[in-house]
Amino acid sequence: MTAAALRSRDLPVDTQRLLWTGAIVVAATAPHWASLVLWIPALLAAAVTWRVAVALCGWPMPWRALRLVLAFAAFCGVLFQYRTLNGVEAGSALLVVMVALKFLESQTQRDQLVLIMITYFLMFASVLTERGPLTAAYLVLLVWVTTVALLQLGRRGPLLPSGMTARLAGRLLLHALPITVVLFVLFPRLPGPLWAIPGSTSSGASGLNDTMSPGDITDLGLSDEVAFRVEFDSRPPRAGDLYWRGPSMTHFNGRTWSMLQGGRRGERVKDSTEYYGEPTQYRVMLEPNGRNWAFALDMAREWSGDRNLRMGSDYQLGTFFGGPSARRLDYEVTSFIDYSAREPLTENERNLFRNLPEDSSPRARALAASWVTDQPSPQQVIDRAMDYLRSQPFQYTLTPPALGAQPVDEFLFETREGFCEHYASALTVLLRAAGLPARVVTGYQGGELNGIGDYYIIRQSDAHAWTEVWLEDRGWIRVDAVAAVAPERVAIGSGRWSEARDTIAGAVLRNSWLRQTALLWDAVNTRWHAWVVGYGPELQRALLESLGITDLRRAERWAVLLGLTVAGSVGLLLALHLYLAWRQRRRAQVDPAARYFAAFVRHLTRLRVPPRAPGEGPQAYAVRASAVLPQAGAAISTIAALYLKARYEPDPERTALTELRACVAAFRPS
Amino acid sequence: MPLAAARAIERWAASWAHRRQGADPLAVALQRRRIYILPTRFGAVFGFMVFAMLLGSLNYGASLGFTLTFLLAGLGLVVMHHCHNNLLGAQIKFFGATPVFAGERAEFRLGLGNDAATPRYEIELTHRKHAAGPVDVPQCGMETLKLGVDTAHRGYVKLERFTVATRHPGRLFRAWTWVHMDARCLVYPKPAPPGLPLPDTGGTGVGSRPNHGDEDFAGLRGAAPGDPPQRIAWKAYARSGLLLLKQFAGGDREPCLLDWDMLPGLAVEERLSQLARWCLDAETEGRSVGLRLPGVAVPLGHGPSHVAACLEALALFEAPP
Repeated sequence: MTAAALRSRDLPVDTQRLLWTGAIVVAATAPHWASLVLWIPALLAAAVTWRVAVALCGWPMPWRALRLVLAFAAFCGVLFQYRTLNGVEAGSALLVVMVALKFLESQTQRDQLVLIMITYFLMFASVLTERGPLTAAYLVLLVWVTTVALLQLGRRGPLLPSGMTARLAGRLLLHALPITVVLFVLFPRLPGPLWAIPGSTSSGASGLNDTMSPGDITDLGLSDEVAFRVEFDSRPPRAGDLYWRGPSMTHFNGRTWSMLQGGRRGERVKDSTEYYGEPTQYRVMLEPNGRNWAFALDMAREWSGDRNLRMGSDYQLGTFFGGPSARRLDYEVTSFIDYSAREPLTENERNLFRNLPEDSSPRARALAASWVTDQPSPQQVIDRAMDYLRSQPFQYTLTPPALGAQPVDEFLFETREGFCEHYASALTVLLRAAGLPARVVTGYQGGELNGIGDYYIIRQSDAHAWTEVWLEDRGWIRVDAVAAVAPERVAIGSGRWSEARDTIAGAVLRNSWLRQTALLWDAVNTRWHAWVVGYGPELQRALLESLGITDLRRAERWAVLLGLTVAGSVGLLLALHLYLAWRQRRRAQVDPAARYFAAFVRHLTRLRVPPRAPGEGPQAYAVRASAVLPQAGAAISTIAALYLKARYEPDPERTALTELRACVAAFRPS
Repeated sequence: MPLAAARAIERWAASWAHRRQGADPLAVALQRRRIYILPTRFGAVFGFMVFAMLLGSLNYGASLGFTLTFLLAGLGLVVMHHCHNNLLGAQIKFFGATPVFAGERAEFRLGLGNDAATPRYEIELTHRKHAAGPVDVPQCGMETLKLGVDTAHRGYVKLERFTVATRHPGRLFRAWTWVHMDARCLVYPKPAPPGLPLPDTGGTGVGSRPNHGDEDFAGLRGAAPGDPPQRIAWKAYARSGLLLLKQFAGGDREPCLLDWDMLPGLAVEERLSQLARWCLDAETEGRSVGLRLPGVAVPLGHGPSHVAACLEALALFEAPP
């Protein structure tokens, strides 16, 4: 490193400038490499290599015709690969290609400044797709390096030493930081996009799907991916009550459950619900799930946050602003653990929830029929079904055998091994066969408490399915078949349930520092997303309210925020101006010659020369110092003479001052 | 056309600034009121880019996008202040300008002084088409720049107005000030092409000159670099420690008293050119020279400073001050 630095100082200025440009080009494109098609980083590497070789090894510059052909081919390549030039991914690819080609032909200062502009855009493109705290840290580093390059490449004279420029750039960024914070906090945000955003629908795979086919899955992989996080304002409910509602499955074709498509109105379900007991208030920080699903604890009564959040006809919350959500979503919910969801069902609707395919599950139908011969109450039917599941040797396992043509019958009467989906499916079929309207509800159950950040993490591995059955007098009630078979799964959650079974490894994993570190990192990440990435109109409104500015319409709020932004920035700039002036004047008030001589005296004091007495003339002092340091006597008297000359004699071109400075700097008594 | 318009605007602004701040002394410290600042073209592109990023961030609701946008916006604003501050308090001093012959480039030596505790970077001077620098001035330091001005006529050439500017840091902004100093450089008449021999006037016309040569001691003057060592007054040096040059009336060659009327039929400027040429020729031949112009007379003498006096008389002949 030092050898390279030494060598780089000997390079011609143009080459140094080129190397700086190359460095920021490589650094700014780095976050994009992984997401690009292979030929684009390859093109970049080739271009950088060639151009640097031109400067260092005397290769010929690429010919103009070649550059034109390359530019055309690369442009067509991007168009062919991405089918568009619009959107973040294609845009980034195009920017990287532009950077490569522009660097290949760069020669003048103008070219280099254009490249700096493109690298700024590249950084911007990378923060549109990556949002973690590490990306932000890399970004700050990158902005710093780019600012150093900007300072160097903006010069017309020879380049400054890198360390000095790095400090200068750091100071500029440090001065810019307060303004950045003020702008970030106060600049008014929009609740939705200005125009439609193309692309990027693939992100956010969910543990939940819009269909459910329990017989097809033989190994349920438990993904540690986070579905959402929850921070309780009030006391959190017991783990066994943490049912996070997701999509409900109503249609069953004998093998696959699927969601009901349209046709039912959403408003009435909430109005018909009654809530009891203490409310539970919490904030949900939802990861993008690629769908418009949002999750809440059963049963939600009020929710804030996104004004586009609504409750659907199956009691599930969802976002309704157009396409699927690629964004994180934050919202506050008030739920009640005790509720009765007395949705009035018409006869048609009751039939919809009793519907089973004609030829499916004959043995299950027979079993259910045997329960209803004595005209039991619906609750008795449910009890009988649960008793059946409890009394037979059912096993909860994540690796069930595959099921054949009649999956429900095979599960209920032959294999008797399965996970939540099998049980929810089988119980719902049994209850429907017994004439009760029922459906499968998917969602998440439980959650892991992150003790460091004091919030719950709900992972894809917490995905769960249960049954809801509709009773004439009580509405929809939840019946969880797994609670009958493996109650500990409901009590502690499936992730830890599987760990608990694998005792030794589980114990190690639970307590290891690795897990603690992971939890800590998750806490940092969560705060980051809650306060930085999730910062938007809602938090701004809360900020204004905390300042006592309430009851404003949106336009008024914007005006207030904009006014605060301007006032804050102007105030900070004024402070910066005063600081810069003060800093410049701080030492300039003293005569420069006196300052150099004072530095020299301080140096001598360290060499055990008694300090200069007040009123002691420089020459008298020099004599005294020479007595202590006879070997440096000549140098000391020279400096004293130069000081007198620089301070008291006319010295229009400051030759004496310059010489004094040089002599003081060079003073090294042996 | 836009360029011409920009020039016209700049001229107008500069004269407005002149009326506002008045003429400057030969040494001036730049005050806040006279420093102007505008974004450069690169700075305007930078601003436009930040605006585009702001729109993108608003659209994508991307908080990190906002962070980057605002960091760059903040950087731009901070750079503006640093750029302004880079010039604030800098000292501009006119050190002088060595006289030149008409047609040569006059070089004005200008000092950039920095009393501040921090260096000043990339300061440049411009005067019409000529520029000097950019140069970095260390803390409590001084740098000298030479600003060239093309000359066409004898007399004084003035550095009427020049610009002190900086684009540091990062070339986003340009802070500048106009300085109106009474800095002038003497311009001698352009010497006529050699050819016409020196007139054999016999000097003052007192008849045959004594062949005393170097023995005709006339006095002492301070020695200057380039003087012949054999004429140094070594005895005087031994006494006083000063290097003095012995001067002789006439010398070994005939003195040459140049008269305005020697060149009838030539226009004023051509006469002055020819007289300038003769002055130079006489000095190279080692003859003492004197000048007699209408209203001005330079007595006989020789040496570089004497020739300079002659040339100055020629340069300022009937010239407006």
